Amino acid sequence: MTTMPYLSRRSILKTMGAGFGMAGLAGVLHANGTSGTVLAPGPLAVKAPHFPATAKHVIFLFLNGGPSQVDTFDPKPMLQKYNGKPLPSGNLKTERKTGNLLGSPFEFKKYGQSGLEISEIFPKLGACADDLCIVRSMYTEIPNHEPSLFMMNCGHRVPGRPSMGSWLTYGLGSENQNLPGFVVLCPGYPIVGPQLWNSAFLPAIYQGTYIPNNEKTPDKLIRYIRNASIAPEEQRRQLDLLERLNTMQMRREGADSQLEASIQSSEIAFRMQSEAPEVFDITKENNGARTRYGDTDFGRGCLMARRLVERGVRMVQVYFGNAQPWDNHDDIQIHRTLAAQADGPIAALLTDLKANGLLSETLVIIGGEFGRTPVVEVSGLVKVQNGRDHNSHGFSTVLAGGGVKGGMAYGATDEFGFKAVENPVHINDLHATVLHAMGIEHTKLTYRYSGRDFRLTDVAGRVVRDVLV
Amino acid sequence: MLRAESADLFEMRVRPLLAAKCFACHTDARMGELQLDTREHFLKGGKSGAVVVPGHPEKSLLLHALQYSDDRLKMPPSGKLKDDEIEAVSSWIASGAVWPENVKIAAASEYVITAKQRAFWAFQPVQAPKVPQVRNRKWASSDIDRFVLARLEEKSLGPVRSASKRTLIRRATFDLSGLPPTPEEVTAFEQDKSAGAFAKVVDRLLASPRYGERWGRIWLDVARYSDDRLNSERDDPYENSFRYRDWVIQAFQDDMPFDVFVKAQIAGDLIPNPEKYQAGLGFYAMSPEMQDDRVDATTRGFLGLTVACAQCHNHKYDPIPTRDYYSLLGIFRNTEIHEIPLAAKDVVDKYDGQKKKIEKQETAIADFVKAQGQQLAEVLASRTAKYMLAAAGVGGQAGPKLDAETLTRVTKYLDDPKKNHPYLKPWLAERAREADAGTLTKTAEAFESLLLAANAEKKRIDDENHIRLGLNPSREDLSKANLVSMDRDKFVLWEDLFGAKGVYRYGDAQIDRFLSAEFQEYLGGMRSQLASLKKELPPQYPFLHAIRDKEKLAEQHVWIRGSEDAPGEPAPPHFLTILSPSQPPKFTRGAGRLELAEAVVSKSNPLTARVIVNRVWQQHFGHGIVRTASNFGAQGEPPSNPELLDYLARRFMAEGWSIKKLHRELMLTSVYALSSDNAEANFAQDPEDRLFWRFDRHRLDAESMRDSLLFVSGKLDEKREGPAVAFTKDNYRRTVYGAVSRRRLDPMLALFDFPNPNSTSERRLQTTVPLQKLFLMNSDFVMEQSQALTHRIESKAPSEDARIREAYRIVFQREPTPQERQMGAEFLKHSPWPEYAQVLLSSNEFGYVN
Repeated sequence: MTTMPYLSRRSILKTMGAGFGMAGLAGVLHANGTSGTVLAPGPLAVKAPHFPATAKHVIFLFLNGGPSQVDTFDPKPMLQKYNGKPLPSGNLKTERKTGNLLGSPFEFKKYGQSGLEISEIFPKLGACADDLCIVRSMYTEIPNHEPSLFMMNCGHRVPGRPSMGSWLTYGLGSENQNLPGFVVLCPGYPIVGPQLWNSAFLPAIYQGTYIPNNEKTPDKLIRYIRNASIAPEEQRRQLDLLERLNTMQMRREGADSQLEASIQSSEIAFRMQSEAPEVFDITKENNGARTRYGDTDFGRGCLMARRLVERGVRMVQVYFGNAQPWDNHDDIQIHRTLAAQADGPIAALLTDLKANGLLSETLVIIGGEFGRTPVVEVSGLVKVQNGRDHNSHGFSTVLAGGGVKGGMAYGATDEFGFKAVENPVHINDLHATVLHAMGIEHTKLTYRYSGRDFRLTDVAGRVVRDVLV
Repeated sequence: MLRAESADLFEMRVRPLLAAKCFACHTDARMGELQLDTREHFLKGGKSGAVVVPGHPEKSLLLHALQYSDDRLKMPPSGKLKDDEIEAVSSWIASGAVWPENVKIAAASEYVITAKQRAFWAFQPVQAPKVPQVRNRKWASSDIDRFVLARLEEKSLGPVRSASKRTLIRRATFDLSGLPPTPEEVTAFEQDKSAGAFAKVVDRLLASPRYGERWGRIWLDVARYSDDRLNSERDDPYENSFRYRDWVIQAFQDDMPFDVFVKAQIAGDLIPNPEKYQAGLGFYAMSPEMQDDRVDATTRGFLGLTVACAQCHNHKYDPIPTRDYYSLLGIFRNTEIHEIPLAAKDVVDKYDGQKKKIEKQETAIADFVKAQGQQLAEVLASRTAKYMLAAAGVGGQAGPKLDAETLTRVTKYLDDPKKNHPYLKPWLAERAREADAGTLTKTAEAFESLLLAANAEKKRIDDENHIRLGLNPSREDLSKANLVSMDRDKFVLWEDLFGAKGVYRYGDAQIDRFLSAEFQEYLGGMRSQLASLKKELPPQYPFLHAIRDKEKLAEQHVWIRGSEDAPGEPAPPHFLTILSPSQPPKFTRGAGRLELAEAVVSKSNPLTARVIVNRVWQQHFGHGIVRTASNFGAQGEPPSNPELLDYLARRFMAEGWSIKKLHRELMLTSVYALSSDNAEANFAQDPEDRLFWRFDRHRLDAESMRDSLLFVSGKLDEKREGPAVAFTKDNYRRTVYGAVSRRRLDPMLALFDFPNPNSTSERRLQTTVPLQKLFLMNSDFVMEQSQALTHRIESKAPSEDARIREAYRIVFQREPTPQERQMGAEFLKHSPWPEYAQVLLSSNEFGYVN
């Protein structure tokens, strides 16, 4: 059994440093008897996809609460025409009582060369129309927030399954070993909360790292990232001693992959301390950029998402806001205010990604857990009836970048925008498609737990090839 | 086309389509009254009449439905079939729609368990295997050793050497108490040369209350124990969850026979001496409510079977029909949450009565303030024009004096041009072009009339809605009732001025100055009454989170594809078919919980004893004999040593289901005393140590990590029992008493692989990640323990060298080597002691158990 002298191991770790991707975040120096020490990849080391990928990163801009498709991305002239009239075929079952058709108070406009129609409340996003693929035929099963949030994030209606970002980092690793591979930004919490980025039965390293992006100082954004009283050079001395002690212990007890991984983790943790705070420090951006994204929670979130992806993070999810802002049961006019907050940052993000060449390898997903009814909600005692109920039968999700065709709409809801009828795309199908773009065959990304092979798409999922280039 | 060809077409193309796309709803579920399982049913058709006109696809309802050409009927609802599939059905109808006679093609109710399935190892009775002969008799000190060694010798493998005494006592102490031994305990054991030295250690550890805290927690993983609910919007604690946790800890401490322990959790209210057992019902009373996980926790937790997989279809791998799932589900659906008070009736009544009085008083105050506030708003609104003119700095000062605060509010409202309604546009435009006072006055008065009219309309609509809803509407009523509403813009206007945060609205504490003396006195009196009622409220009496059978039992049906809206055949309560000798008898007592509990712990049930001895083995040895501890089905792993598993299960039952006896039996063996050494030959053949040729080294779990840091720093507070304690700075309790959350698990727990309490957990993961190291490097908690350890050592040892040696004794329970002493001294020349202490606490020697 050979044991590497401590200095040479450290120098190896140094050369393997940031972004190199050979030594995983908990990379293991696997001692293999007398044959010497070989490198084995760690859990976050970059892993080869099943086939060539068209996207390397995912940014999921989650408009939580359920944005209304007929007021945003799915124009319905018939709905305008029959505003106030009953729906001829009767209303589908949703959570609450609904009434007659409610025309959108917003106008749709054709944007870009493609002439893709988008609501006037998203003018800046409209300018990016030729990069957008609007899936207008999304659907899921249950018109309640919790099961649909779980479905959209974890591919299953009940808690206890790993989140999409967990699956992606489990399957592909991450390109930057000094940052978490899956980052979740939200001012406060969406309803349900951390379960939505939980790794469930996958190892905890694949859990989303939650960043409260309403906090403005980097130190408050990541737990334990900085030592308040020990200076870095002093901490370096501590780590040197620690590593010598650990190496001596391993020499006594024999080589062991766990002990090696532990030694390596300390080194990586030390480096993370300098790299991680920097990425969330948007004061490093010039004023122009900060103005374009805007000094709002969502604006800062989108800007951080860009910085994270630039540094190789696999998936970033940005929740629009605390709780469920898009849940406008009473008054759909509020969508105008919300869109005004979302429009600029999303457009700035897409524009920046395109300018620095990252859009072609970053799949951006924009949407919520479900849509809203084209008919007015009539429940509730004191509220005005100008809003829409939850709608799981049909809604829109917007895709952009990373291997997705631009300037197109895919699938369709019925003529009033209630139910997906043409090329329906279930959330499992969306997930299968996202995985496909990332180079993963969704039926083959499995994890065996308690005797069963689990996957993000559960027992369903179909790749929507028509939206892919 | 010939008749025979049509029949072929049916077999080859149509029948598979029916099975894949139609049977879920059109066999036993008979949706639309249509059943497509036999020729007879098929020809009969459904609610809309015959589905085919043989020979005439264009006249057949079935084809229209498939083509989505009918207005209402589009089948299957999950999405249109492919063109060639529809074409196949069309040709089949054209060729006469031949359905071979006497062919029943779906038979959901005829679930048959095959002989092969019955023969699966896990469903065989627990055997009494003969203890095998071994060659290395000297090593094998117990029957368990002989079972292990026989397997190794079969493969020509041998156990590695035994661990040192220090390693062994450290291992056993972590194992049974979750804490390291003290240096004194290690020395005493090293010096005890008697044959029973280790047995003495084990007995001491089993008798310590730390044992219950350690092993109770291991069961709590299975029980998905949590101190709160997964509420999607707010923190939602269980007030008395800790009573279940403490009951579990005490049950382990008292070595409650495991069969009784199981029965208590399923039916503790229905067995003799319920007061001793019903706290166990927390297992179900605190089920995660967002999903029905009760069947899952019952079957994976107690039986090692994944019955919840049979929720939508028969189990794909194990002989578990969907009906069995619903038979079990029905038992739980016929129970309800029941809080059992742990106080005398008068105490309970007094608290409940007082609580009711407080609520009544609060309502009375709120109602009064609301009524006054509404009236006041109307009074103020009737002078809207005057306020507007005053805000604009025009108009006469005649008439009653305006209220200053209201004027400020109105001014602020008018100054903000962003309005969600159009009614102030004229006013704002006129102000912008500095219109004359006369024009402004007219506009203000017009706005005032509009506002008052909107308020009148709002009142009228509210009255009508109240009539439509009736008294005390539930949330459901509010969701389902058809209510009237006013125009959106007018509503926004009303909300801006009269709403809860409206310009004219004054609430509790703001309204007093507008009230006359008598009204003020009345309100003040009500408030002081409320204050004294609250003062007199005794602390809430303790209660247990429990369940009980519902008074009115409902019949459970199979839900087709897991959908409650599609009930199928009845699923009366009974035990799993595969675990019953023939068709399981129907449970007849109440919801059936006691019968279920008895079936689970019946000695003829081949699973319960095997599953728990395997869990205990897994905890001691790092992995189970069956490595999928909660899945003993076909998709789980088979036992690496089935004879050993049966030997243990059989003895366990014979010895009265005693967990403590089991610990003793497992630990007083040569296999438990193995070192963690590697051995090339063994590693090559069995790298995962499935046959137990060495001891698995493992990282400390979350609780052992935190508790050990506190233990060696001298800060550990060993107070027992009681409500969950948040992991705040001044929490020095053992981690088992810390708050476990389904909503947001404490980040430190999550970091060290604490299981997700939203579902039953079969084992702890063990990750090694940099974020854990950041915790050791930078967290206030570790920094504080490093300080505390420093103080502890400084007070004991005078010289630097003595301090280093003392630190090693406390942290590692050994003397440092001369080299280690020298390295420490060197480090301390430049750095302070707490930084040195922190290095020792972060070391692998501290953080791993060999």
